Amino acid sequence: MIEKKYLDALRENVFNFDFEGVKKAAEEAMKAGVHPVTAVTDGLAAGLKIVGEKFEDRECFLSELVLAAEVMKEGMSIIQPYIKGEELKTKGRVVLATVKGDNHDIGKSLVATLLRISGFEVIDLGIDVPTETIVEAVKERRPQILGLSALLTVTMPEMREVINGLKAAGLREGVKVIVGGSPVTKEFAEKIGADHRAADAVEGVNKCIEWVR
Amino acid sequence: MGEMTYRERILTTLHGKRADKIPFFHTWRRLQTGLAERKARNRCMGVWWQRPCYVESMPHVDIVERMGPSSGLGTTLVEYRTPIGTVTERLKKEPGVGKWKAQRSWRDVTPWTVERRIKKPEDYDVVKFMVEDTVYEADYFPIEQAERWLGEDGVVIAHLPHSPMQMLMIDWVGTPTFYIHYAKYRDKVEELYRVIEKKYEKIYKIAAESPADAVMFGDNLDGVLVNPVLFQRYFMPAYEKCARIVHEKGKLLISHFDGRLDGLKELIAKCPQDVIEAFHPPPMGDLPLREALDLWKNKVILVGFPGSVYALGTEAVRKHIIDLLRSVIPGDRLGIEASTENLVSDEHLLVLSTILEKSSLPLSKEKVDEIERSLG
Repeated sequence: MIEKKYLDALRENVFNFDFEGVKKAAEEAMKAGVHPVTAVTDGLAAGLKIVGEKFEDRECFLSELVLAAEVMKEGMSIIQPYIKGEELKTKGRVVLATVKGDNHDIGKSLVATLLRISGFEVIDLGIDVPTETIVEAVKERRPQILGLSALLTVTMPEMREVINGLKAAGLREGVKVIVGGSPVTKEFAEKIGADHRAADAVEGVNKCIEWVR
Repeated sequence: MGEMTYRERILTTLHGKRADKIPFFHTWRRLQTGLAERKARNRCMGVWWQRPCYVESMPHVDIVERMGPSSGLGTTLVEYRTPIGTVTERLKKEPGVGKWKAQRSWRDVTPWTVERRIKKPEDYDVVKFMVEDTVYEADYFPIEQAERWLGEDGVVIAHLPHSPMQMLMIDWVGTPTFYIHYAKYRDKVEELYRVIEKKYEKIYKIAAESPADAVMFGDNLDGVLVNPVLFQRYFMPAYEKCARIVHEKGKLLISHFDGRLDGLKELIAKCPQDVIEAFHPPPMGDLPLREALDLWKNKVILVGFPGSVYALGTEAVRKHIIDLLRSVIPGDRLGIEASTENLVSDEHLLVLSTILEKSSLPLSKEKVDEIERSLG
């Protein structure tokens, strides 16, 4: 019952976008002996999940989702030192990248946030990532899913290069490839041999959840 | 109706009247020079040329550009040194920048700002100083020169930068960071917004008095990034102010709204812009063209042909443009741009110009069927 009070405070501060409040709530929860993993999963992440669901239902804006994720980070900075040596259970591992020549970040980062809310471990390689780096990351980290983003029609062909690179390295069968970005159509995704084209961030994350179920 | 010149066709449409055909044009900065371009232009393709109408300077700001290992490999570090402090931004420039048109790379990409000038609360004061220090002076030579060269081949538009809040969101802060700053330091954000807004009155007046036919905000609006609350509070007042000044001088106001607009469609209907340029219906945008035309009854829409369709090949291009013509019958208040986002292959320019040469107005189902049959 006492624990519930602290978890509620963490959750509420995330969905109320309260940067100071979440730090205070996190400190109090740790002082009171709330298990740090529980504080993250049932407190902070639960708050972010509420905002994520509202975003999915078009009841809140992207700006609010970004803010909630940032507030969660503030809370995490307090709780993180307490969870050393422990592991948060994940649904699966996803490698994300914006392909070479493309420096757009917003869409990919949004997908990363939504995946984390949904319980995935996300390895975000960043923007303008060369094909070889992506293939290497898949080889080393063995994700179940690779997400590729492009916002320019001139960089979309790099997605095909990545898929060909995975094939050449014998990695294609072991990883699902999901592609996204406003110019990327279903037809294009089929043409280059991707497994799925995300219509938007929410739909893409739902597909990832379906794949690891 | 006799055959209109390309300029007459575009201007008639921009004024909301029926031209002889749907205007088809390419932006000057993406226009290749060569055989296909000449053929397309001989058929029906006009030129849309955005040119600056002022020069600007900051008399009390030193701008230092550095390249090389000390500034980060592969990027250019720009320092803005003012008497009250320094801000920096980092650019990534692809091959061709400075050698091709309008700071575009060979493949038509502008330099990427990979690190923006406002990163922390103190930076707002420095940038505010820079805005206040900026001096704008009218310079109509680029517009007059373009008008002389183009003649009846197209139109020249006086180009304005992003509107004040978009300047902050896209250019100076970056959208995700902007959301956080707006929550944490709203006073700073709003103070800078007000200073830009006030300062821009000068360039609205310069643009309004220019010899160009119309004035354009290059706003790159996207309704997912800019929510309706922000749009109503900060974007619409800027549009209204600019429109008042521009309309007083008998000029049209155009905005470059190339993103997803479904979430803002009702508010856009209330905006004073005469023309929405770079409109992208699905598959790239989220608002169907027919719906936009029906909702924005007092506006002209210029559709940017989607790059994602170009990526699927010639047959897809042909099908898309025929479907588009069918969806807009009778075809009023509409223009088609070859692309607002990338270079277009010779083959695709020829396909579009072959079809649009035949798109005389008013369109009818029979006429579009006939155009389709004529393609074999």
